[in-house]
Amino acid sequence: MLALLPQAIIDGVLLGGIYLTVAMGFSLAFGVLHIIDFAVGEWIMLGAFIGLIFTKWLGVDALLSLPVVFVIFAVVGWLLQPLLHRVLSGSRGRPVLMGLVFTFGLALAFRGSALTVFGIFTHSLDTVLSQGSWHLDWGPFFLTVPLIRLAGLVYALAVILGFNYLLKRTDFGLAVRAVAQNKEAAGLMGVDVNRTSAAVYGLYVGISAMTGVFIGAIVSLNAGMGPDLSIFAFFVVVLAGMGYLAGVPWAAFLLGLIQSFFLIYFNPSHVLLALFSILYLILLISPTGMFRKGV
Amino acid sequence: MSGAVLKLEEVRMAFGGLIAVDDVSFEVTPGEIVGIIGPNGAGKTTIFNAVSGYYRPTRGRISFLGQDVTGRQPYELAAMGIGRTFQIVKPFAGLSVLENILVASYLRHPHQGEARSKAWEVLRFIGLADRADLAAAGLTLAGRKRLEMGKALALEPKLLLLDEVVAGLNPTEADQTVQLILKIRDTGVTILIVEHIMRVIMKISTRIIVLNYGRMIAQGRPEEVARDRQVIEAYLGESAEATGGSTP
Amino acid sequence: MRGRPAWLWILLVIAAVGTVPLLIADAFFLRLFTEALMWIGLAITWDLMAGYIGYLNFGHGVFFGVGAYTAALLITKGGWPFWPALALGGLAAGLVALVSGWPTLRLRGAYFAIGTWALNRAVGQVALVLDFTGGPDGMRLPPFLHPQFFAYVMLGVVGATFLILWLLLEQAPFGLKLKAIREDESGSLAIGLNPAWLKLQAFVLSAVPTGILGGVYAYWITFIDPSSTLGDLITDQAVVMAIFGGLGTLIGPVIGAVLFFSFKTYFWAYLSDYQVLYLIILGLAIAATVFFLPDGFWGTVANRWEGRRALRKGLSLGQAAGT
Repeated sequence: MLALLPQAIIDGVLLGGIYLTVAMGFSLAFGVLHIIDFAVGEWIMLGAFIGLIFTKWLGVDALLSLPVVFVIFAVVGWLLQPLLHRVLSGSRGRPVLMGLVFTFGLALAFRGSALTVFGIFTHSLDTVLSQGSWHLDWGPFFLTVPLIRLAGLVYALAVILGFNYLLKRTDFGLAVRAVAQNKEAAGLMGVDVNRTSAAVYGLYVGISAMTGVFIGAIVSLNAGMGPDLSIFAFFVVVLAGMGYLAGVPWAAFLLGLIQSFFLIYFNPSHVLLALFSILYLILLISPTGMFRKGV
Repeated sequence: MSGAVLKLEEVRMAFGGLIAVDDVSFEVTPGEIVGIIGPNGAGKTTIFNAVSGYYRPTRGRISFLGQDVTGRQPYELAAMGIGRTFQIVKPFAGLSVLENILVASYLRHPHQGEARSKAWEVLRFIGLADRADLAAAGLTLAGRKRLEMGKALALEPKLLLLDEVVAGLNPTEADQTVQLILKIRDTGVTILIVEHIMRVIMKISTRIIVLNYGRMIAQGRPEEVARDRQVIEAYLGESAEATGGSTP
Repeated sequence: MRGRPAWLWILLVIAAVGTVPLLIADAFFLRLFTEALMWIGLAITWDLMAGYIGYLNFGHGVFFGVGAYTAALLITKGGWPFWPALALGGLAAGLVALVSGWPTLRLRGAYFAIGTWALNRAVGQVALVLDFTGGPDGMRLPPFLHPQFFAYVMLGVVGATFLILWLLLEQAPFGLKLKAIREDESGSLAIGLNPAWLKLQAFVLSAVPTGILGGVYAYWITFIDPSSTLGDLITDQAVVMAIFGGLGTLIGPVIGAVLFFSFKTYFWAYLSDYQVLYLIILGLAIAATVFFLPDGFWGTVANRWEGRRALRKGLSLGQAAGT
């Protein structure tokens, strides 16, 4: 039993990395644009499928499709954001609520489209790293670190560092932070709020799509995988504390560890229920997230 | 107990390292209009939030009508007789003016018929009866401030907390609001009022409490407080306005 | 409204609708009739949370599924008769609402939506793996093929639900209190409302009839499985219908349900080979309604009506004030 522990931990960390990328984009969209995007899982799914198209039709390694996937989806996001904005700033109905329902509807439409075009079958993405793994012999422990998962972690860290740099060291990042804190004031200060918002959303969609490629390569992809991913993103963010970006990495790794422990020690099909129960308990104890810094 | 409506004993509100209210103690006796003044950030609204149950004091005791109410929920305090307005007015925007008052009326009048009668009564009292069916979002600022007071009045409070109900109004509207406040006082409600408009608060208050950086630096009748050196220092220059032009 | 009280009108309408199964005995028509009623029930119970309190329950179907499975289990494994099994289905759904509502209602509207969505999926997965619920193959119930019976049962359940919700939401203080919470939860505390308690009550109230509807569905269709009762489709369709009809009223979702169900039936007749297309249409319908008609069909109509009335009133006020 105990011999499996280090593997469980490694798996957990690697899983956590993926959760992190999923949640980071989601938090960004919320923190800056105040959009809770129900379609986050669908963006990931669609990204994975575009990656699939690249590998199956063009014979290109999935990892090489990353930049193209990013560009395609960043543009899609950029174009979509004004629509979202119009819904969110509507004067009739209840804008925030309607924004949610809108993205919910989009998610449904995307899922339906994917199911129509790609069917219900599960695929997986092949990359040069798919088969490889590091093996570590360490006393009684035998660890396997699949290279592709490691690549996923590297990707997650790259995204975080990239975000950090972008937000703190560039003019664009400054504009983004200004918009996040006070849209009107930022506009008055000369920030093109519309363009900045569209760019942020495009960034978020692009990154989510790239995450999809990794998930497709690491696990698998199918047209119905969106909802579970959206739920995972949400779990991470609520666990971290809504709006508290700094808590997201911790929450992501914690959830990754919990999930990997479940996969190794218990029945995998109960994972969602287990995660939900844990989230439930945490919310009972501390509604503002594990650091009590949520909104 | 001394028959005080409200009593604060060494109430402290600390937010992390920031001490917004620093060991403030005072009493409010029935029928008074007590004004709280102080520079921005002095802790005035924080005290309101503590008294109305939105914040739990870090330390100290708050007693209402002789009972310890420290840390009680806002709805419990409303039921006990504390009504408040908010500095940034919060009407129930999607509801009509009448409905806004009606919801508040349910506290004392659980039945629809009685609640409606009460609501109309309040609407007439505050002068919004002609705009009863208007969506609350469609009111002018003056109307919204009036509505805010109306909601609190529908609770039939013994203590009414008014948070900057005059700020942002033109002189005519401000005078009308002052008349309304005096009318409320005449019905037997004790009033605690926070205001920046000096001439208003100095004119109607029986007693003034001055806060600065969370501490109470002076307390007394308006004329006394206006002459207090610490108060003058805290305000630097507004004292001339406060005493109506005469220099101390 | 002057004249006869609202509840009398409602009863009259229900009675009028109740004559339909007597007049038309065609089994296919009755099936559609019964299903349309079921959707009305699902749409109005969803609207209770979404329209009146502003809390989107994207896992509303879990109540339906819990009710369906509870009734099915009691009937098949426990040998219970129909009516008590039905009642217990509703009770079970209410219990799920009570237990899950307590922490999840603390979440802000959006996160509540995902939380309930997650619950629905989690319960669906449980039903999928457990043996005694039949796993992915679902459960079969003893056949009881009486279309008129089920038409009346559904009418009774939905009619009663509508009436009760009408009384509670439009006549009693409860509805206005919920709306106040929707408008400003924090401010509602100051006027003596306890939002946590009120929200929980509403949540349970939205769950119990839905559970009962699930139970009726189980006995009526005689077959249930995780995807039909605990899948996303129940919630998704209820959402479209309520939004399309108009949130925040009881009439809106009724209209939305009838209109959308008619569209769906028509669609099915012509395009049943493209079932996956239905998801796309649902999604686009939701998005388009939000974009173009956020107040829904009934909401937009009612607003115009109100607007004209207010305009007339305002004009007369203006004249009176001499402006």
